Amino acid sequence: MNKRSRNPWLIYFIHVLIAAIVILPLAFGFVSSFRHLDDIFRYMSPVTWKTFIPTNLTLEAYVNLFSIRGFGRVLFNTFFVTTLTVIFGLFVCSLAAFGLSVFNFKGRNIIFVIVLLTFMIPEESIAIPLYRLVDSLGWINTYYALIVPGIANGLVIFLYRQFFMDIPKPLLEAARMDGASWFKIYWSIVMPLSKPVTVTASLLIFIQQWESFMWPLIATRTQEYRVIQVALSHLRTETGTYWNELFAAALISVIIPVLILLPLQRYFVQGITNTSTKD
Amino acid sequence: MVKFLNKGKYLKKMLLGLGDEMKSIKNISTPYLFLLPALIGLLLFKIYPIFSAFLQSLFTRQFLTVEQVFVGFANYSSLFTDPVFWNSLKVTAYFNLIINPLQVILAFGLAVLLNYQIRAIPIFRGINFIPVCISIPTAAILWDIMLSPEQGVVNSILISLNLSPQPFLASDSQALLSLIAIASWRGIGYWALFFLAGLQEVPKSLYEAASIDGANLWQRFKNITFPMMKRPLTFVVVSVTVANMLLFSPMYILTSGGPKQSTNVLMLESYNNAFLYSNMGRANAIVVIILLITLVVIAIQFKLLRPKH
Repeated sequence: MNKRSRNPWLIYFIHVLIAAIVILPLAFGFVSSFRHLDDIFRYMSPVTWKTFIPTNLTLEAYVNLFSIRGFGRVLFNTFFVTTLTVIFGLFVCSLAAFGLSVFNFKGRNIIFVIVLLTFMIPEESIAIPLYRLVDSLGWINTYYALIVPGIANGLVIFLYRQFFMDIPKPLLEAARMDGASWFKIYWSIVMPLSKPVTVTASLLIFIQQWESFMWPLIATRTQEYRVIQVALSHLRTETGTYWNELFAAALISVIIPVLILLPLQRYFVQGITNTSTKD
Repeated sequence: MVKFLNKGKYLKKMLLGLGDEMKSIKNISTPYLFLLPALIGLLLFKIYPIFSAFLQSLFTRQFLTVEQVFVGFANYSSLFTDPVFWNSLKVTAYFNLIINPLQVILAFGLAVLLNYQIRAIPIFRGINFIPVCISIPTAAILWDIMLSPEQGVVNSILISLNLSPQPFLASDSQALLSLIAIASWRGIGYWALFFLAGLQEVPKSLYEAASIDGANLWQRFKNITFPMMKRPLTFVVVSVTVANMLLFSPMYILTSGGPKQSTNVLMLESYNNAFLYSNMGRANAIVVIILLITLVVIAIQFKLLRPKH
């Protein structure tokens, strides 16, 4: 439905209004994170140009985050957890998708149904019952608790399977005739062809882990293993009135996924919307 | 390095060995070997917890010990006589009755707007993509400060427009609505992506044919857009419902269920039972109830949205 508008000015006006609502808190947070705490409050009311445009810039809030609040460790933890989940998740899920799309075997449909079922289950629904299992594995307050449950991902298996189904079968059969093992076919023929879906899958796993809150909150107890979303929540309870630091922390939590996802937006959108428009 | 390579080779052989002997047996097991790691992960960390929730809900911890005692459905019956639980149920229902239609309708509207062919559309699409990169906890922190009753920007703007400042999250009549606004600020842009993808797949010729036949805007929507969008619509309606039925972080971070329990949704009540009152049985009973309610709601949505023949 690529409409050509009869009244573009009205459309522009609505768009600018929506954009303002989306951007206002981010812009205000960005500006405030470079301010002295006193300045934020001083220029808040009445609203003037000084509310939104800073006069004295300072990196105080960011320095405090890293020197006092331990945000260096938090960022390390978050990157460590997301990176390992992406690497293992890509490998384990693409292997499974290869199995599902190349072979005909007993139980394939049941396994596919399990895959479909799991990708509608958000982390919140299983976080509380999962605690018992992870606790009995001795993983509470370890990196294992943060990484391992996120590796097998129904959505990622589904995306890879969709892609693998379109790879011409004769290509694989020819490789078989030449004596290649199935693993070799997977590793040196199928995976190199699947770079676009690998990008999509990486972004999906990355954003899921980056934004994960309830499970890390339950599964970790000490600062040592704290990841960014949990750290934000703690920061609010500990330093509720240090708005410059809260804004700085929130901005860090936004800017990193924006820098990674925005240039690769096309892959991300294609990946997630494929699940809604196709069977 | 050589050692590692050898090990890799050995592992490969072990996993998918294609040695001449026993070739047929190995061929049968090959697909399962590919599937094994993922299957274990899915069954253990996604499927099992759901059954585990039900099992755990049948037990309670004996007073001052760690021993688990089987109590049947006692956790459930005690919930149904607890006014706190009934309040949570009511709050969850109220929250979902507002937020789900709101997010679906606004996301659809935004998608239609983003589908107009105006020159600056890539910029607007980019801007509306930003909330996808914002986690709900981050959105909560940002808006908490924006909505601060004394010093917040929103109240400062209201005052400068000669309107009276509002308490927002600090009042029991506005807290839940404020949470709905915060969650929607972050959610609508995300759900609009699915509608936009759907809209772009509707063939243009259908609209052209309809305009030739003199169909008005509403008729075109009813007879072309809506039927063509059924699949993404069903997907978004169901996903929005699941996400919001289980929404936890903004209540946990901003209101702790207050003021006066006005934002104490079931998910938060379950978390508090598990980790504040150390009552895992009761917490899991609440999880089971949330999942059952969600399932029923989804089943109804599927029934209503399924194409009729």
